[in-house]
Amino acid sequence: MIQTGPLFLRVVAIEPLSPRLKRITLQSAEGGLLPLSQPGAHLTLTLPGPGRGHRNAYSIVSPCDRRDHYQLIIRRAPASRGGSRHVHEVMAVGDVLEAAAPNSQFSIQSQTRKHLMIAGGVGLTPMLSLTSALRARGAHIELHQIAHVDEVAVFEALLAGERNVHIHTGRAKLDLTNLLARQPLGTHLYCCGPQAMMEAARDAAVALGWPETSLHQESFGAAGGAPFILRLARSGLEIAVGEHDTMLEAIEAAGVAAPSLCRGGACGVCLTSVIEGAPEHRDHVLSEAERAEGRKVLPCVSRSTTPYLVLDL
Amino acid sequence: MPKREGGMSDHVIKSMPVYAPIRLDRSGRRHLLLADDVAALPTGLAADLSPDAFDERWLVVRQSQAIPSPDEHARDRPYRSDAHVLQALKWRLTSETMGLRLYAIGKEAFVWSVWNVALSFGLGGREVQLCASPAGPRRVYCNHCRTINEAATTNIVVCAGCRAPLYVRDHFSRRLNAYAGVQVDAEAPGEVPPIEVLYP
Amino acid sequence: MPITHKADESFRAPFRYANSDAAILRFPFPFPDDRYMYSVNLEPHVRGGPTEAFAAAFDIDEHYISECRERAMVLRQDPNRCLVLPHMMAAQWDTLELLMESLAHDYPEHFSLERAGERWTWTNRLLGLQDRFVFGDEHSLPQAPFEYITRQVQGDFTLQDQRDGTLYMDGGMVTTPADWSLEFDLGMTFHEWHGPVPVAHDIGVFDRALQYLLRLQHGRPVRRLNWTMTVNPRLDTSPENYPIWGPDKATVTPLNVGDKLHLRVELQTLYRLPRSNAILFGIRAYLASLSELARAPKWGRRLHRVLRDLHPDLVAYKGFSRYHQTAIDFLAAFDDGAPTSAGIGPDTDRLKA
Repeated sequence: MIQTGPLFLRVVAIEPLSPRLKRITLQSAEGGLLPLSQPGAHLTLTLPGPGRGHRNAYSIVSPCDRRDHYQLIIRRAPASRGGSRHVHEVMAVGDVLEAAAPNSQFSIQSQTRKHLMIAGGVGLTPMLSLTSALRARGAHIELHQIAHVDEVAVFEALLAGERNVHIHTGRAKLDLTNLLARQPLGTHLYCCGPQAMMEAARDAAVALGWPETSLHQESFGAAGGAPFILRLARSGLEIAVGEHDTMLEAIEAAGVAAPSLCRGGACGVCLTSVIEGAPEHRDHVLSEAERAEGRKVLPCVSRSTTPYLVLDL
Repeated sequence: MPKREGGMSDHVIKSMPVYAPIRLDRSGRRHLLLADDVAALPTGLAADLSPDAFDERWLVVRQSQAIPSPDEHARDRPYRSDAHVLQALKWRLTSETMGLRLYAIGKEAFVWSVWNVALSFGLGGREVQLCASPAGPRRVYCNHCRTINEAATTNIVVCAGCRAPLYVRDHFSRRLNAYAGVQVDAEAPGEVPPIEVLYP
Repeated sequence: MPITHKADESFRAPFRYANSDAAILRFPFPFPDDRYMYSVNLEPHVRGGPTEAFAAAFDIDEHYISECRERAMVLRQDPNRCLVLPHMMAAQWDTLELLMESLAHDYPEHFSLERAGERWTWTNRLLGLQDRFVFGDEHSLPQAPFEYITRQVQGDFTLQDQRDGTLYMDGGMVTTPADWSLEFDLGMTFHEWHGPVPVAHDIGVFDRALQYLLRLQHGRPVRRLNWTMTVNPRLDTSPENYPIWGPDKATVTPLNVGDKLHLRVELQTLYRLPRSNAILFGIRAYLASLSELARAPKWGRRLHRVLRDLHPDLVAYKGFSRYHQTAIDFLAAFDDGAPTSAGIGPDTDRLKA
């Protein structure tokens, strides 16, 4: 499958699950099959808002083999800048949204004898597609869900099809050390939830001697960052690099033909000199010394730590 | 060094295991050491590391009347052979929990047998440390007929299966626990370079 | 464009192989410059590129029927040329789906895929077969899914499992290897199976390539070109059969080098697979003789220069020390020193006689 361009999805159902949780069902706006999703995958939706809108990533909770629809569960975030507020207050059946094809940074680990999952609140969402895929393969699963007491019924309903599920009303009710200390060799831990919860689980596992390679957290990828202004010294252009753009995309959108090849920070073809400003390096090409010196940057993946960055382009 | 197919000398091939004396990995909670010979311990352990630092020490002693203690807290356990200790390891790993670190010292074929058992229980590279000591003969997998030739001490060995003179490449497979051997005179039949002894 | 599929070629003695003019013009010539060195030359794989060989997701050409027959012969002689470790079954189905969907999309005149839920019907008109099976049930197919579908596609394939911060080569269909062994390398990590490649490790090519591939996304495949040379149009240059093809190397002479010595180019593609999160590595091999390629003047000049100036470690590793000079001398006649354009295209749509 070669994905060219974004997906256009139509909202076909919006179900309130609780005062703060809604389940959205999306189908292809053009009719036909959707691209196959993957276990642990998320969908990055562009929701209407000022400027280019809000781009938010939500885990796909429907089984990944379903190509007729995707389902998401979205929590109303208390201090929402607009993304989840739009979903809860504005979105209507029939709306068409732009989305990037599903992507997973949180996948099933093979050669694993047991899959242990710890989810906090809506952090359950990436686990649902994992558990349905693992169940189909006959894998050994154990899932612990931390939920507010008033949402226990919702999570029980979402997990009704699973065996070996434990729901805890509040983080204090889950004895992490006890749980992690008794896991057999070859167990992998999958965690998703509030940052503090994920850190506590990770710290407890490391203290018990779990190797880093057995610990997995949903991070939705680390693309994007603070917006900044790019100045191209030779063409005299000034370009705004938005939080979801890469420098290379912004340069190309401005009509400048910058050399590039892999677009993933590995080949070095787009390497450019920095005249002013301090780059934020995300590539795999520059040495530690070159990074520290800050005179070179790979625009296909890297960004800027300063509000302005001037390149020799 | 003989070159294969007029080809590159193997000293630049990067596909051989590189060993260092064992260091205790303090991120682990329990430490189990296996050795196929007590004489290998001094060179197999880092200079400042005593065997006492390990929770258990399993040693192959090559005596038929040896028997590990029935006491579950015994720290030193003697075993009769490689096969005997590997079998015991499988049983132990079945009931072990996360946090274990496994260490193996001995002949190269022995330590990779330990590795393959560990792998079957889901242990990964961070949980297992190996040191092949002393440097010793190689198991050679004949790429042409799939025979494993044990204990090759020279750079060229005649395959026990298909009789081809095999150049032993510095390319090691963990899965097969052997080095690759390819026919040294395939391009010019009969032209076999002088045989060098590598492990007397 | 309708092409004639040659059904009777032979990639083993006695050899019978040639490229039509169209096949030569679409050849994925691997050198964008007059000098060659290893690099992370990965780029997005889209439908389209410098020659027609890049037009489809998985390229089918005039040698398709003959290459499928050759694969079947290799497997009858050595079934261990297709091996998949037990934990990779999801990746097998991912591969079957990807290849069937791609071929049906790009070559609807030759391939059809009908799906009714899990009941699929696959039609391959070039090989004259049709199979109905249940997606997910390996017993409903004549072979395991990976073997079943790769028997119907040109080129080798390997399956990489992503775990422990690296990639493990945990399966493959390898009947046209450039001298590497599936059976020996099965289960190796990315760095281990690339172990024997010289120079590249020192310049960090594999470290960077691995970091890039670990982030490969579903729906965004990548591709690159690799190359070597082969004596005779032999596809199965495996270590397993080296005792059989090794002697070929000493048979190259100044009189026969143009027809006997072939440039072997691999158009490599890498796809992230959805259910298994594994990576499918496609190694699509193309063969053209020096004489065939020299019919495009730019390629004759460039090939001479690349071979003449090649790093000695690469000459040795790629295994053409015995005939390197003979090839350079032959190609010198096609190099008048004129400049050549950047990029791999032939710069002509008509070949010299």
